[in-house]
Amino acid sequence: MEEVKNNSGQNLGIAALITAILTFVLAVIPCVGLIAIIPGIVAIVLASVGLSQANRNDSPHGVAIAGLIIGIIAIMISFSQIFVAGKIARHADKWPKQIENIVNDVQDNVVKDLEDANVSIKVESNGDTIKIVTTPDKRNKEQTLEDLEKGNSSANDTVKVKK
Amino acid sequence: MTLSKLKNSIAQIKLRNEPYLKINIILAGVILLIMAYSGIFSPEKDNYPVVCIHEKITGEPCVSCGLSHSFSLILRGRVDEAYQWNRYGMRVFLFFAGQLILRIIFSLLYSRYSSTRKQLILFDIVGSSVLFLVTFMPFLTYIFKFS
Repeated sequence: MEEVKNNSGQNLGIAALITAILTFVLAVIPCVGLIAIIPGIVAIVLASVGLSQANRNDSPHGVAIAGLIIGIIAIMISFSQIFVAGKIARHADKWPKQIENIVNDVQDNVVKDLEDANVSIKVESNGDTIKIVTTPDKRNKEQTLEDLEKGNSSANDTVKVKK
Repeated sequence: MTLSKLKNSIAQIKLRNEPYLKINIILAGVILLIMAYSGIFSPEKDNYPVVCIHEKITGEPCVSCGLSHSFSLILRGRVDEAYQWNRYGMRVFLFFAGQLILRIIFSLLYSRYSSTRKQLILFDIVGSSVLFLVTFMPFLTYIFKFS
């Protein structure tokens, strides 16, 4: 009768250790890490019951302790997955905003480059050539615009007509 | 003659009750189940029952995504495709295959050499832990990078 009691405590310890090992393997795989919480709890319960039975019967309880320790570590790793998922989800929430910012930056850079660029447009039609050259300085453009409005022809932008 | 038979049967019964052997047999069974899972479900049909919870929550694929596909492809001998599904698939598969072989070898050594059982268990624990860490280090790094 005593033999049976000893075995039952030890068997629970073995079950706990196996469940804890499997939980540990599951816990470190991010895809199924969150599921590992359930077998982790089962392992801890089995180890606790096995440990108490082993203590009551004065039987060896090393396996149950090992199961308990591995189970606790596994459940901690599994719990950490919640924080990982939360952090990634939060980052994922920011990503569209970051992409939008990058696109805006690129757009601003392109506009700035175009403002600073020397633009030369050449149109050829039936032997006539029209060439429009603009200066990069924005202030010059504004001055040119004012001059053109006043009818002043001393503008920086030039229009050349060749025949 | 009958006495030796009786002794043998008693020794066998004692061995059956050894926790180390029980653990080894069950773990070997679990690894065989993993192999069977990879063999039953095919990458062509894409009928894997386990989905990535991480991807469901975050919308982003994780470092272990495609591991089932990778295992199935390795079992079918398509290693190049397996690497494309998950670059750590081969490493993890080799760990499980190695553990299956180790469980069998250690069980045989344990039952044969009774004087070195403690050393054998210690060697098994240390060796398997190191192998585990080496195999799953990318996954652990991924987990603790964010937490």
